[in-house]
Amino acid sequence: MSADRAAAPVLRVARLRHNFGDRPAVDGVEFTVAGGEIVGLVGRNGAGKTTTMRAVMGILQPQEGEITWRGHPVGFDDRLRFGYMPEERGLYPQMKVLPQLAYFARLCGLDRATAERRAGELLGRLDLAARAQDQTIALSHGNQQRVQLAVAMVHDPDLFVLDEPFAGLDPSVVDELSTILRTEADGGHAILFSSHQLDLVERLCDRIVVLEHGRVLAAGTLDELRARLPRRLRVKVDAPPGWERSLAGVHAEDDDGEGVLLDLDAGTDAQDVLAAARAAGPVEQFGYERGHLVDVYRELVRR
Amino acid sequence: MSGTPTVWLVARREIDERLRSRLIRVMTAITVVLVVAVIVAPSLFHKPAKPEGIGLVGPSAQALGPALQRAAGAAGVRVRLVGLDGAPAARARLRQKTIVVALTVSAGRATALVRTDLDGTSRALLQAVVGEAHLRAALAASGLTPAQTARVLAPTPLAVVALNPAPPDQTAHSLAAVIAGLLLYMSIAMYGQAVAQGVAQEKTSRTAEVLLAIVRPSRLLAGKVLGIGFVGFVQIGVTVGAGLVANALVKRAEIPSTAWVLLPMVLLWFLLGFALYAFACAAAGALVARQEEIGFVTMPILMVLVASFLLMYVAIATPNAWWLTVVSFVPPMAPVLMPVRIALTHVPLWQIALSAALTAGAAALVALTAARIYSFALVRGGAKLSWGEALRLSRS
Repeated sequence: MSADRAAAPVLRVARLRHNFGDRPAVDGVEFTVAGGEIVGLVGRNGAGKTTTMRAVMGILQPQEGEITWRGHPVGFDDRLRFGYMPEERGLYPQMKVLPQLAYFARLCGLDRATAERRAGELLGRLDLAARAQDQTIALSHGNQQRVQLAVAMVHDPDLFVLDEPFAGLDPSVVDELSTILRTEADGGHAILFSSHQLDLVERLCDRIVVLEHGRVLAAGTLDELRARLPRRLRVKVDAPPGWERSLAGVHAEDDDGEGVLLDLDAGTDAQDVLAAARAAGPVEQFGYERGHLVDVYRELVRR
Repeated sequence: MSGTPTVWLVARREIDERLRSRLIRVMTAITVVLVVAVIVAPSLFHKPAKPEGIGLVGPSAQALGPALQRAAGAAGVRVRLVGLDGAPAARARLRQKTIVVALTVSAGRATALVRTDLDGTSRALLQAVVGEAHLRAALAASGLTPAQTARVLAPTPLAVVALNPAPPDQTAHSLAAVIAGLLLYMSIAMYGQAVAQGVAQEKTSRTAEVLLAIVRPSRLLAGKVLGIGFVGFVQIGVTVGAGLVANALVKRAEIPSTAWVLLPMVLLWFLLGFALYAFACAAAGALVARQEEIGFVTMPILMVLVASFLLMYVAIATPNAWWLTVVSFVPPMAPVLMPVRIALTHVPLWQIALSAALTAGAAALVALTAARIYSFALVRGGAKLSWGEALRLSRS
């Protein structure tokens, strides 16, 4: 894909607000997605991921807020250049796989020949070529999921909006489909992606937006999010437990047998901790813990 | 965008999906057989009377041939004239029963040779023709020109005025009405349900969610109704076409004059009735949370159709009742009851046109409301919506 799709934010969601009855589903959600970038929306059920995605796709008219595509409010014709995979799958069960893909491609404006050619190519890429003339309902769950992803991809969209695309898939399929998404992003496509599977988001996404109760708790690259965690030391000392208790600005979190985990307050010097450890006994291990997204998430939600 | 118009794409998918279904083919076959049977059956049971064979012996009798045909035509009797050259041939033909009478005419007298007896109609026919020939000869002898003779002998038209006219064959008309009513009721209900099912399937399978991101709801709705309506129209069209062909082939059908008008009317009223009911059914289909609820939400709509179908039986008993005229203008009833009236009795053209216009107008109004409910309810999760909720929420 062309390089002009890369880098600059193409999708911008601003001040998105929508209530279902009295309950706010999204409450001031803001983020952007740039070309060539995979942005992950994470959060528990009801955090507002699906509502946000449906608003982007125009299926839900948000009560407030602005969603723009390349600087202008998203219109109907823009959405023909979006590819959508809803949380609950939506395919015609009786329709054969290839005609189904070609149908959705033509609804997005492709002519018949191009639609059928693209559908055929995509089925090859997704390892479904042999099932092209099977009824969709006859396919396994994993294969139906692939077809659903193919529906989102068949018209070569500029933006993918994928709501829990890998839910319920076995790890090998997840890896395979992740690779495909990465390839698409590297080609300059913008991808907005939601998942419960934080390890997957951590691996796949360039930037992460953490939602909770309809609000953005944090957003940024994984490193930026990690920076929000307190510095955490793992220290293993051959000494009776409790040697660290006298230290100011240090909170012992856990002792998992591989050492004690110590969260440091902002002003605390790690060298003071090391000195205290050496005073207590021989130090077997001393170093910063590299936080995972799941740790960041837990920390953010706990606050 | 270089693509095909969305409405056509959606309609085309519906058509393809439905034409693959065997149900449609079976249904079409059944209705064709039904309609053709109704048109053909009477003529199978009601054999037209065989023309009476009349032997004309010798040139002077044979000269009466044209006059005999004319008189027979006026009396509504079919005759078959057989020229014979002598009495032996006449006797032989009578014995073979290929003629019922052999007429011999000689100066001043005529003889009708029969096997046993001559029926009244044939006797009167022969008497009239022989009498006329005699008169013609006498007039010519008295000096009148052939033209003058013809003027004198020109028959005076006889108008028949009945005090209690016998009704036209009411059984045949009733049968035509039942078939028309049944065909319309069945197909409007069937294709209306098909629309509700199609919509509900897209909603419950969440295909609607993918579709509505790329297709405007009004176009999705229009495409679906057009596609399914087209399949229905083709099915009725095939049935009506078969009926018209059967009607043309059966020369003495009981309902020929009615059929030529009625069958195209069935096609017209299917379109009007389907348009009216299909949009309402589409809205109904969008209300459900599960496929099994379709019957429940479409019931209030189809009850009206069922009611009009049941009224058809009352209509057959009293085809000219004032209330029937009234309900044949009420849009939800008109698609069944107006064609039923057309089958049963003479309906002025303006009434048909007015009723059709009212139904078309009602269909347009229903379509507008239905489109609103449809777009609102199609991607709404959660439990089944009631009609009341749907109307209220779709307005806000």
